[in-house]
Amino acid sequence: MIVYFQTHEVLVQGTCIALVLALSIQVPMRMGVFSFAGAGCYGISAYLSAILVLERGFSPFAAIATSVVTTAAVGLVLGVIIQRLTGLYLAMVTFAFDLIIGVLVINGGNRTGGSTGLFGVITNFTTWHMLVLAAAAVTCAAVSELGRAGRRVEAVREDPELASSMGINVSRYRLVAFTASGALGGLAGAMTVMIRTTIAPRDIGFNLIVLGLTIIVVGGTRSWKGAVLGAVIITWLPSALTSIGEWNTLVYGVMTVIASIFLPRGLYGLWLSGVRWWQRHRRAPAPAPALPDDAPDATSRLALASPGSPGAAAIELGEGVK
Amino acid sequence: MQELLNAVTLGSVYLLFALGMSLTWGTIDILNFSHGAIFMFASFSAYLMLEHSALSLGLLILLGMIAGAALSFLVQFVVFEPILRRSKDKGSAEIQVLIGGIGTGMILLAIAQHKTRSNPFGLNGSSTESTTWHWGGAHITDVAVLTTVVAISLWLVVGWWLRRSRQGLALRAIGVDADVAALMGIDRRGLAMVTMAISGALAGLAGILFTFLQVAITPESGDTLLLKAFACIVLGGVGSMAGVAFGAFLLAGAETVLLTRTDGSWVDAISFGLIVLVLLIRPSGMFGRAEVRRT
Repeated sequence: MIVYFQTHEVLVQGTCIALVLALSIQVPMRMGVFSFAGAGCYGISAYLSAILVLERGFSPFAAIATSVVTTAAVGLVLGVIIQRLTGLYLAMVTFAFDLIIGVLVINGGNRTGGSTGLFGVITNFTTWHMLVLAAAAVTCAAVSELGRAGRRVEAVREDPELASSMGINVSRYRLVAFTASGALGGLAGAMTVMIRTTIAPRDIGFNLIVLGLTIIVVGGTRSWKGAVLGAVIITWLPSALTSIGEWNTLVYGVMTVIASIFLPRGLYGLWLSGVRWWQRHRRAPAPAPALPDDAPDATSRLALASPGSPGAAAIELGEGVK
Repeated sequence: MQELLNAVTLGSVYLLFALGMSLTWGTIDILNFSHGAIFMFASFSAYLMLEHSALSLGLLILLGMIAGAALSFLVQFVVFEPILRRSKDKGSAEIQVLIGGIGTGMILLAIAQHKTRSNPFGLNGSSTESTTWHWGGAHITDVAVLTTVVAISLWLVVGWWLRRSRQGLALRAIGVDADVAALMGIDRRGLAMVTMAISGALAGLAGILFTFLQVAITPESGDTLLLKAFACIVLGGVGSMAGVAFGAFLLAGAETVLLTRTDGSWVDAISFGLIVLVLLIRPSGMFGRAEVRRT
């Protein structure tokens, strides 16, 4: 086990980084905010934490904490500025934000090392620390999917008007989404620098956005389990299929296209539908059908009465149609 | 004077490229994120053909346009059409189309990167030699003149087609309300295929001309251009033909000025900054009508 871990340490590190980055795009997406700002915050935080360690002699944890707080604030400010935009326009503004960060660090002079970037960020940060931090991030994301909070988040995504008529402060939820996205992106960026010891402009460009997006599209957009699944697949696939070698961009592209056409909710969504199909097929007439925690009709669940009432029947019907 | 000529030439390439994107986005509501990859791939196909025989510029342009149109048609047929058919609501379709486009772009990019080993490629094996005209202190190549003439005339033709022809009317009707348009007997699917093919041909044309002008391009250059074209379109207003030309030449002008005054590393920030500014201050763009919610 230990030997296996040591030989695959780089992959484990890659998975953690990719997972946290993917969460920074997925968490806002679950609240109906299609934002790539997490990737920009990844860049800010990677450079900021590298500078803090190199110039100010911060300990890795202090550097990570400072960077995460900073990028959360950046996320919040960005959210306040752009919150009235929706859909595609919002996505493109955050896209542009990420690329501007790339231009800024190239022109940062000595402080950011221009197009060479920064290197020699040597600290006592280990893979174990990274695993703990990644697990903490995943736990936070998972908690936001449970119980009342989870139902509210789904309502905000599926039908903002209905949600706000039910007394949910939609714009506050959206701001929380931006802040969380900034913090998660920041965590991913800072951890990367601490482990890899270098950061350069080419590490934070277009590819980063594509990576995060691919992971959640392939894994699943609605649940942290999807992000974990996607991160593991995307990071481990190239080493599992060594023969594809340099073709892995092609494989990612094909996977993204297939997922976008056939699996709009990713592999985890496919798994859930499979489970549901199997349960229905067994014809186990449960008196009160337990609603899967990923059902699309969150708003109807909010709005409608308890299981067993006509409301629950309507949900059943809705799923049948799907 | 030289700056002005450079800006006009660069603006023409932006115009050709953004025209195709604006055409599909403004009418059938598809923001094609593989447009940049199609642009690059058309030029790349021409590069592959040149390894076998030295073709003239005219043939290369034709080849690039065919390659672009075919690719774009395929993307619509294989990726976008199924997504639109399967998705329940407009918001999620928009995002699936965006993601599908990014995925398709990755596939094309991976192929080109594999063949060229990520090195820049050019069309200098062509049998057409470009001539340079000197005029006062300024100079300009015949390809640059050709690019400008072609871009402006195609812009006029597409604008006229949208405004005056029956297909153009049908397309604009789809842009306003796809469901009502379908009730009026408009074949949305067929027209979407045609529009995408035209858009791809424009991308292919832009690809060949741009490669000729720049001598060589990298496989990744399509992605940068995609975002610049996006900036041009939102600056002018989505769906506005006057707007896209305004955006293209303004962006090219600003970039040229900055390029000659500084070392050029800030150039890309203009287009990205423009996207943010325009969408925040005036999301409907300079020439856009007051926002029509098409839901």
